[in-house]
Amino acid sequence: MTGPDETALAWARARAGGPLRVPVGTPAPAGMLRLPEPSGDGAWLVPQVPETADARVLAEMGLAGPLLEQPNDTARLLAAVLRCCWPDPLAPIWPGVTAGSAPVLAVFGELTGPRDEMAHRRSAVAALRRLDQAGWLLWDETADTIRLGPRVALWSGSDLSTLRQLWRTMPGPQPAPPAPEAAP
Amino acid sequence: MTDDGLVQQGLDDLAGEAAVLRVYRQAFAVLAREAEKMILSPQLLDVDEAILSAFAASGSDGLTEEQVRNACRAFPEPTVSRRFEVLKGYGAVTKVFERPNERYYRAAFAPYIMLLFLRRIAERGGQSELHQLLSLEHESVSAATATDADGRASVERLTQVFRLIANELSIMSLGADVVQLRENAQLLWGNEALIRRAEKVHATVLERWPSLDRECQWLRAGLAAYRDAIDAAAARLIERAGTTRALGLLPAEEWRTFARTADTERLGAVLDGFVFDAPAPWFDPQVMTEAVETGGRPDTARMPPPRPVGDADPTETSPATDQDTIRATVEDLLATRDFVEVNEVLRMAPDWAAARRLLAQLTAAHHDPALPYALTWAEGLDVAEAASPAWVTPGRLTRTETQP
Repeated sequence: MTGPDETALAWARARAGGPLRVPVGTPAPAGMLRLPEPSGDGAWLVPQVPETADARVLAEMGLAGPLLEQPNDTARLLAAVLRCCWPDPLAPIWPGVTAGSAPVLAVFGELTGPRDEMAHRRSAVAALRRLDQAGWLLWDETADTIRLGPRVALWSGSDLSTLRQLWRTMPGPQPAPPAPEAAP
Repeated sequence: MTDDGLVQQGLDDLAGEAAVLRVYRQAFAVLAREAEKMILSPQLLDVDEAILSAFAASGSDGLTEEQVRNACRAFPEPTVSRRFEVLKGYGAVTKVFERPNERYYRAAFAPYIMLLFLRRIAERGGQSELHQLLSLEHESVSAATATDADGRASVERLTQVFRLIANELSIMSLGADVVQLRENAQLLWGNEALIRRAEKVHATVLERWPSLDRECQWLRAGLAAYRDAIDAAAARLIERAGTTRALGLLPAEEWRTFARTADTERLGAVLDGFVFDAPAPWFDPQVMTEAVETGGRPDTARMPPPRPVGDADPTETSPATDQDTIRATVEDLLATRDFVEVNEVLRMAPDWAAARRLLAQLTAAHHDPALPYALTWAEGLDVAEAASPAWVTPGRLTRTETQP
């Protein structure tokens, strides 16, 4: 099943489309990380390259990576999602829990500071879309829920400890009933 | 990729010019009359070269200053005059006959030799000159007519050279940053051959004039210091290269040679163990932390430029509203029918301007693909003297599909 051809094909798919959703029982090809869905319905395959060959090499060599619009807002939104969908920072980051968009947007609002409601909403949705496309989070637009995406499993141990510190510095989602202004 | 290539090449050129200038300044240091009176750009050397080549082409009559300026008209005239004055001041250009009002000048050959020499040094980093110097020294100490004074002088010169190189290198390898060290890495290449040649001179001298053993000992010490300095500098570079993938560790020529001469397998082996991730942005936790920390501050959001008051922004909402207005108007006219005659509609209008507005709306309804109306025109002209539009082309507005 995982002959060289299968492996090459899986890598080519991942190269073109990012993390792959596969049905239950698919073995992981060489070099790929297999992340089971919490619902038991299939799994994700994420290409895991050595740290000496992944995207941060680009930064080290001073080359431009893929262009990211609004990098700061996008990073803030990812941080907000991390705060809401990773309930216990000592537990593994995948799969995390599902969160509604309202608490995520509330945390994002805390991080970005006071902004016009429309602008806030617009930048949040744009960042959600960008992150969803890149596999950093899974955004169910119809149910309006957000989860961490399979790509978060690529953060290394030292990355995770930095993220834990970040997690602790951020305000958590409000456990109280959802703020009325969060859902226009 | 090509853009990067161009930029890279530009930077390389710049770095090359800076290196050339550094060597020029070092080499001219012994010639300069006072500090801070040095040439400041390699282009000035081009001017010098042009002046000297003008003299070379002139034959035995020499040239007047005007002729020189004419021959060098590719360069700015003030620059040429200034360089001419400098060359004159240093005696590189002299009057053909030493008398007042002499207009013809001749050039000495030594400055041009110096220029050639400098250019060579700048191109090869002084390595090959050092090699040649060593060969010459070896020749002179091996010559049958050489005396022990020659041998002593030769050994002393070499001792000085190697001490200077070793000092420069070891100071750099101790204190300088890696970039500077890398720039001077040329001193590290081919050093084995240099040391071997120096040892050959040393052996010859020691064999011929055993009385010079003290001087030879200094030379040995100088060579050893050079070797140690190389080891220290190379170790530091290699240590840094391990963590930064510094492609600049080797000079660009080495990489080019490698790329040209290596076979496919060797070239491919460079990327062994490299696999490239899907082209998605990577989020470094450090960057995320920075973004979060800077987030609360009121950032410098760009404000839209001020607009004249009353110039409400109609662009975003108008198409939809327009469509609704048109649809309402047309539906009013059609009521329950499926078509309506245009001349009836226009004659119903209270005045000419209102009829014109109606016609505009009908036309718009026809052209809007989202609206299910079509306007067809017939031949001829319907004229009515007393009516408001005096003449109308008969036409018909049809609903193309039934409205829900």
